[in-house]
Parts: sequence; C-alpha cells; structure tokens
Amino acid sequence: MKGLYALYSDPSEAQRAVNHLRSNGVAQRDIAIASSEPIEEFEFGQRDKATWLYYIASGGGVLGLCAGTWLALMTQTAWPLPTGGMPVVAWWPNLIIMFELTMLGGILATVFALFITARLPSRGAALYDPEVADGKILVGVKNPKGDAIPALTQALRVDVHTQVKLL
Amino acid sequence: MTAAAPRINQDLLRPLLETSWRFYALVLCLGALVAVGVGAWFYQVYYGFGVTGIRWPIYWAFYITNFVFWIGISHAGTLISAILRLVNAGWRRPVTRCAEAITVFALMIGALFPMIHLGRPWLFFWLIPYPSERQIWPNPRSPLVWDFFAIATYLTGSLLFLLLPMIPDFALVRDKTTGWRKKTYGMLALGWQGTPKQWHRLESAMQIMAIAIIPVAVSVHTIVSFDFSMAPVPGWHSTIFGPYFVAGAIFSGIAALIIAMAALRRFLHLEEYLHPVHFQNLGKLLLLMSLLWAYFVFNDRLMIWYGNEPAEMAVFWVTQRGSFAPLHWAMIVCNFVIPLLFLTHKRVRTITGCVIASVAVCIGMWLERFLIVVPALGHKYLPYSWGSYSPQPVEILVTISTVAAMILLYVLFAKFVPIISIWELKVGEQSRLPTPEAMREHPLWQANP
Amino acid sequence: MARKWGIAVDLDRCTGCGACVTACHAENNIPTVGAAEAARGRAMHWIRIERYWEGEFPDVRVKFRPVMCAHCDAAPCEPVCPTYASHHTADGLNAQVYNRCIGTRYCANACPTNVRFFNFFNPAWDKPFHLQFNPDVSVRSVGIMEKCTFCVQRIKAADSAAKADGRELKDGDVQPACAQSCPAKALVFGDLQDPESEVSRLSKSPRGRPLLDLGLLPKVTYLSRQTDV
Repeated sequence: MKGLYALYSDPSEAQRAVNHLRSNGVAQRDIAIASSEPIEEFEFGQRDKATWLYYIASGGGVLGLCAGTWLALMTQTAWPLPTGGMPVVAWWPNLIIMFELTMLGGILATVFALFITARLPSRGAALYDPEVADGKILVGVKNPKGDAIPALTQALRVDVHTQVKLL
Repeated sequence: MTAAAPRINQDLLRPLLETSWRFYALVLCLGALVAVGVGAWFYQVYYGFGVTGIRWPIYWAFYITNFVFWIGISHAGTLISAILRLVNAGWRRPVTRCAEAITVFALMIGALFPMIHLGRPWLFFWLIPYPSERQIWPNPRSPLVWDFFAIATYLTGSLLFLLLPMIPDFALVRDKTTGWRKKTYGMLALGWQGTPKQWHRLESAMQIMAIAIIPVAVSVHTIVSFDFSMAPVPGWHSTIFGPYFVAGAIFSGIAALIIAMAALRRFLHLEEYLHPVHFQNLGKLLLLMSLLWAYFVFNDRLMIWYGNEPAEMAVFWVTQRGSFAPLHWAMIVCNFVIPLLFLTHKRVRTITGCVIASVAVCIGMWLERFLIVVPALGHKYLPYSWGSYSPQPVEILVTISTVAAMILLYVLFAKFVPIISIWELKVGEQSRLPTPEAMREHPLWQANP
Repeated sequence: MARKWGIAVDLDRCTGCGACVTACHAENNIPTVGAAEAARGRAMHWIRIERYWEGEFPDVRVKFRPVMCAHCDAAPCEPVCPTYASHHTADGLNAQVYNRCIGTRYCANACPTNVRFFNFFNPAWDKPFHLQFNPDVSVRSVGIMEKCTFCVQRIKAADSAAKADGRELKDGDVQPACAQSCPAKALVFGDLQDPESEVSRLSKSPRGRPLLDLGLLPKVTYLSRQTDV
C-alpha cells in the first residue's frame, strides 16, 4: 500500500486537509502534496524553502574561480611562448577566463544541487495523480498504517464531494 | 488555483498534439535550405577557401559578420527572462520561453561560424583546452580563446536556464498524453511531481541563474567586441566597443524576439496569451535600445571625426561617403529612422508596427556588423594595400541557410515543447501574495516534524 | 646567444627592380597564384615593392618601398593567434609555425602593414617548376598563413656551419634571399644587438625611421633623405 490521497480544486480546502492530517498525528514528512504550479499564498506551500542554494552557488563560483586561475596559469607556463611583448603570464587576459569559469562554476553547482536535492530524476514510487495537471492539488499520506486509514480518510474528506483514493 | 487551468493546458498543448500539412511543408523547405548551405560549406572545404570572396587585406567578411550578428541576437533571452524576472515584471511570463529558445539556438548557430570561417576547420578543436600529447594549449591572450570560454559558458547557462523550467511542463505533457508521447515526455520530466520542496528548489535555482546569466551575457558580447578592439586596425581600436556591442546585441535581440512572438501568435493562434500590450512594452524597449544604439554610434563617430587621424578618417569617409555609403545610410534608416517612426507613438506601436520596425532593425544590425568589419580591413595604414570585397555565392548561401536553420530549429522547438511556459503563466494568472494566515505557522508544524 | 635580427632598407638606393621579390619566391617555395587570382587580390609576395606616384605629368615622381614583415618586438599579430602559431623567438623573430596554424586569419587582420598572406588554395606548380623547390623550406597547404621569416632556414644553416667550424657568426654570414639578390645593395640584414654590424649602424642613421609610428618596435628601418618623406 503506497498512499492515501484526495484531490482538491481549491487551495483552502487543501490547507484544511493538511491541518486535519496534522491533528491526526501524521508526521510532516509523511504528508505528500503535489500541484501543477507553486502555491505561495497558503501555509502548506511555504514548506521546504531553499535559501541555502545561494551558498551552494557561491561555493561553485569559488571553485570555478580556482579552476579558471589554475587553467590560465598552467597553460601559459606549460609552453612559455612570448607573444606581442606581453609577459608569459598575462594577468589582464587571464581575468577574462577566470571570470567565465567562475560564472560557469556557479551555474553548474546550482543545477547539480537542484537535481540532487529535488531528487530529480526520481525513479522511486511517488504519490501522484495525473489530474494534478488539470489544476487539482493532491494532499495525501505516504505509507499509512492499515488501522489508521479510516481516521485519515475522514481527515481528508473536508467536503462531502471529496473523493479519497487509495493506492 | 487557476480555474482556467484545463483551458490553458488545452490551448498551449495544441501545437504539440495537432500537426497540419503546412508544418511539414515548412520543415521541408527550411531543411532544403539548410542542406544547400551545408553543401556549400563542404564545397568550400573541398575546393579551398579561395572560393569565398576573402582576399588580401580583407580577411574577415560575411562569416564573421554572421558570427557577431547571431551572438548579438542571442541576447534576447537574457534580457527578457533574466532581467525582467529579477525586476518582477509580470508581463514577461508568456514571453520567457520564446526568448530563451531564441538565445539558445542563436548561440548554437553563432558558435558554428568560428568553425565555418577557419582555413583548416578540421583542426578547430585546437581552440579547446584539452591535454594534448605535446602539452601545448590554446593561447589565453587571444580574444578567440576568450570567445570559446565565453560562448561555452553562456551556451551552457542559457541551455540550463531554458531546460529547467521546462521540467514541470514536460510533466504536464506526460500527464495529458498517451503512447510514445507519454513515455518520452515522462523521461524528460525526470519524475517531477510538483511537491512544494521541488517548486522551491526550482524557483531558487532559476533566481540564481537569472542573476548569474546577466553578467555572462554582458561579458560574451564584450568579448566578441574584443575580437575587433584588440587589433590596431583604424576604426576597430576603440575603447567603446564593449558597451557599444552589448547595446547593439540587446537591440537586435529584442527585434528578433518581437518577430518570433508575432509569428507564433499568428500561426499557433496564441492571441489570448500574447496580447498587444506585450508588443507595446517590447516596442518601447526596442525604441529605447534604438536611442541607446544611436548614442553609442555618435560617441564612436564623433571621437574619430574630432581626432582627424588620417588612417581612421580614411575608414570614416569610405564608409559614409565612399563605396559603402549606400549600405551605411540604409543602416541608419533601418536602425534609427524606422524605429522612431513606428515605435514612438502608441497609435503606430501596434503589433504590425513593431514587426516592421523589428525587421528593419534586424537588417540594419546585420549591416552594422558588416560595416564594422569590412571597410576598416580594406583601408588600413598603407594605401598600397587597400582593397575592396565582394561576396561570393558560397558565403551568401551559407548566410541564408543559417537563417533557415534558426527558423527550422525554432519551428521544431515549438512543435515539441510548449512555447509558452504553462506553469509560469498559471502562476501569473492570480495574485500571489501570501495571506496573513498562510504565513502564520500552524501550531502543529513543529510538534510533528 | 641572444640576437636581434633586423633589416635596414635604403629607399634612396632602391630602384624598384623586383629582384628581391623574385628571389624570395624562389627561396621560400612561394606559389605564384596566376593572373586571375592575383587580380582577385590573392597574390602572396612576402616582400613586395610598393609603388607610389607623386605629382602630375611631366613632373611625375615615383617612389618604391620594399615592405616585408618587420618582426616587431611588440607584434600585434602574436597575442591574437589562438594556437600560438605566431609567437616570438629568442632571436627576436616572429615565428610562423605552419603546422599549428588553423587559419583564423586574425594575425593578418591585426598586422598594420598587411605583410601576412593566406593560402587560399593548395599551391600547384606547373612542370618543370616543381623541380625548383628549396629543400630547406616546407611547402604550405591550403588554409595556412605565411609571411617573411627573415629566411630563418639560412640563419639556422649559418649557425650550424659556424658551430661546426667552431667560430662565431660574423656580420654578413647570413644573407636572406632578398638582401643577397638586391643589385643596389638597398637591403642590409644583420644582428641589431651587435654594435659593429652594418645594420646597427644604418638603423641609427639620421635618415632612418620605422615604417609606421605605432609603438610596435619593428626591426626594419627605412632610410631616406628627410626632404623625401
């Protein structure tokens, strides 16, 4: 048994469902929510913010800077060929390569961090319903205990018309 | 949540699901043009570079003009997606993916030209810093090597900036289709579910990338301008080339974007999503860039004329009054007069007016690149070595086929990916300010972590 | 030993005969591109005689000026080459490494005196000219830049001969093809570092000036009467 969930058209209904689930003692990490757009104006959409991603990007930038500096220095000294009366290690042009690799480092670090922490690509079984694509919000419980199901079903049924589904 | 979500889904997925014979005809025509261009290039490689119009002392002409032109066009996406995202301009939402797609494809095509114009193109990989047996590397002092790093970084960044927000839309297509589409788009969606965690990660990542891609874009066209300003050629050795080229790039990028948007609106029936106000806003930006471009041109020319240095004045006069005069004044009309005529007043700044101005700007900016490259090379310091250039069929065919390649890539993109970012559009449909009770933590939040 | 090879060109002696151009073509295996290609601006004269006319008939004056690569110490063609095909050697020469050239032609654009040439086609020599190649100089193929090398093959040969004999190179031991063939002795080649050499003496002459005043530190000095500028 993978999960128990319901689909809501209105985000306020989804919020009530989440609150009911919490009152029933469901742990935060077991509550599954899925939507086809980010929903910032309700509390359930405020979970799991990622401001630390900026630090990862900066760290990636620093790594890129080191890589750029190393590349420029190493390639210029591997075969020291003077050109145009400039020094063999010419810092003005090196700054350009260092800058580009810094930015590349930041960008790649951000993307890798995104993929890893958002668990993409996710191959594992997840609580999802294709009706989410039509604007419904899914709220459910992952791996509910068998004897808790009736109570949880009642928690999810915020409206008489709500259909609670079992996977 | 948007009640209109199913209708939006239907409208914006229709181009993916319904194909008419016109699409196949268009792809066939464009593909033929691209094939002709590829054939022309192979002809050039086989028979020797002399089949082009390049000659002493004009060693760069059409191919480098095209290179700078396409890299310039690629600045469309950065402006719209990144800059408008950072200043929270909501009207950007239907436009971002159109713009980013232009950026990626224009960059890919622009990056081909350094290979096309090489004398020994099979050795182009020597521009890449790889550990060779001889331990020799490319020269980091050369602006062409800076070009490699800059374009590689910008292409990677733009590609990722385009691909990341496509993931939720791929999930949407996965959910709304069956068969091979469901499987393919399912793979591309990487198992996206749309949990708040994923949304927050995605939005933070995109914010960071928007911040990062702007300095990269500025640096890319500055570095392309360094291809000229680092050489002591009269008319090239100017300190203003960096900002001048970046302004010109954004200028031509917006023009290309307006043309693309108008075409999409007409042929994919997106009248409900791309409104006249979008064109009005972009038209205003285009006008602003036209004025900015004219400002930079004035700066550059005034300095040359005032300094009266003989070598620079030779280039100046041949461009303005000599053999290049018709092209030069056509450029001024296309880049300055026509935009002023069609974009100043709201009444003429209609979609048609914006498209006319944009086509003129694209032509004018191509001419501007040409007029930077060729007159200066033809009139350097020793009059005995002056020369004139005329393009040969090979160069003209390759140029036309790259325009066809750009359109082809774009048409294919619009066929396989929703050209308007569906989830971003839905987010913009309603007010997104969090309500006070939303921000108040639920009492049981911390009790059951 | 660090040397600085240079040339002094005496414009008051040059008659514009073109022997230097011919000798250079023969010595360095430079192809003649044919009348059609030359008309299209593809001729490759590593040393060329520039001819300028002054005045109206019958008071016409003609000036000849041999122009070749000046091997500038601050050469603008060197930093712009992405593959180091154009770089500076310890002898003060601007080296052009044919094998490393991928034909971006940036160096040719950067050169203010347009002394760099591109191989637009694979060179071909009609019989019997295919027998007259100089074995000390490679034949360049399509897509490669080339220019005057100060006959580096002759410099190397003279160095080897001097070393074999156990002596130092004297002024006049090395003669590039152009200097060797000039009937008016207008071209003088030698080591600018050697204060005794004729080229050093001529370079310091009050009649001497560089071709262009751009701060490139060229090694070719042009001598002419000051009134004849």
